[in-house]
Amino acid sequence: DEVVNLPAPPDLSVHSTNMKHILTWSPVTIPGETVNYSVEYQGEYERYYTSSTWIPSSWCSSISTPECNVTDDITATVAYNFRVKATLGSQSSSWSTLKELFNRNSTVLTSPRMKISKDGYHLIVEFEDMGPYFEFNVTYWKKSPNSQKELYKIVREGGNLVHLETMEAGAEYCVKAQTIVEVIERSSTFNQVECIRAQDESPL
Amino acid sequence: LKRCQISMDMHHIEKSFHRIKNTIQMKDVFQNVTILSASETLYNITPSDVCCMTKDVLGLYVDKVFRNHEESDPRIQRGLSTIANSFLHIRNALEQCKNQRNCDCQKEATEKFQIIVGNYEQMEVKAAAIKALGELDILLSWISRNYRPKATT
Repeated sequence: DEVVNLPAPPDLSVHSTNMKHILTWSPVTIPGETVNYSVEYQGEYERYYTSSTWIPSSWCSSISTPECNVTDDITATVAYNFRVKATLGSQSSSWSTLKELFNRNSTVLTSPRMKISKDGYHLIVEFEDMGPYFEFNVTYWKKSPNSQKELYKIVREGGNLVHLETMEAGAEYCVKAQTIVEVIERSSTFNQVECIRAQDESPL
Repeated sequence: LKRCQISMDMHHIEKSFHRIKNTIQMKDVFQNVTILSASETLYNITPSDVCCMTKDVLGLYVDKVFRNHEESDPRIQRGLSTIANSFLHIRNALEQCKNQRNCDCQKEATEKFQIIVGNYEQMEVKAAAIKALGELDILLSWISRNYRPKATT
């Protein structure tokens, strides 16, 4: 093995959207060679109580791409640190670590994709499955010139059809929703309001 | 616990322990000894003492149990890390709640916690740690009982 000075992978950072956390770094390039990387992490517990302990990431021991899905490693609402080293054959770089610790309560929450439909006079809503942490706060109302009484429903998980209301013939109903992530005590902004009109009364 | 309004990811903590439970419990060679001794201590705690008992027992795990167990298997390490960091988050939140006088200890709860500490300290350090880790299912089901997630839709 020709001795190569392997630099530590630079620019470590975590990108997190909707509780999916991706660790990225800039690649270490050695012409004509494939450099691999290994990722380890420390939660607040390890940092304060067993500071020498680093835990191998669930999915990223000896990978060749400069990114790692660390969602399964970040499993508590505390500050986490990550470190990455490059390896080439028997040679390893030193570890590089995050400039700023990462806490999952800083994840970006986007408003939910929603589909409303009707089954006869039944108002139906469906959300994409966003994973185990997500609930949906649904607000809906019947459009009318004078009063607009808003109703609420919490939908515990996405991926299913949920009955919201039995509609009055010919009336128009509107729906909006936001995601709620209880473990980080946060919610997204509301999505675009969507409306649907119930069919008119069928002549006998 | 409801007074302290803490978000607990109990489902994920229990899932993490379930994955490593058999491996951990097999390492416990003192089967006829208990630390949490559920029936005498945890399970007849009055509702008003639940918060303080949770804070103290989690403190025992954070300050002593996880520390006194050395683990080389990454799979077990990851499971214990999830639980330790989750306990640390909850304990810290309960400490803040205590400062707002919402999580105080009655005499009876303090005595019961001392029984648990006594059980723990009677054992050799590493054996006590592995025993306490093996009894996490007792603790987690007790916490879940006292922290009931909302009814599902």
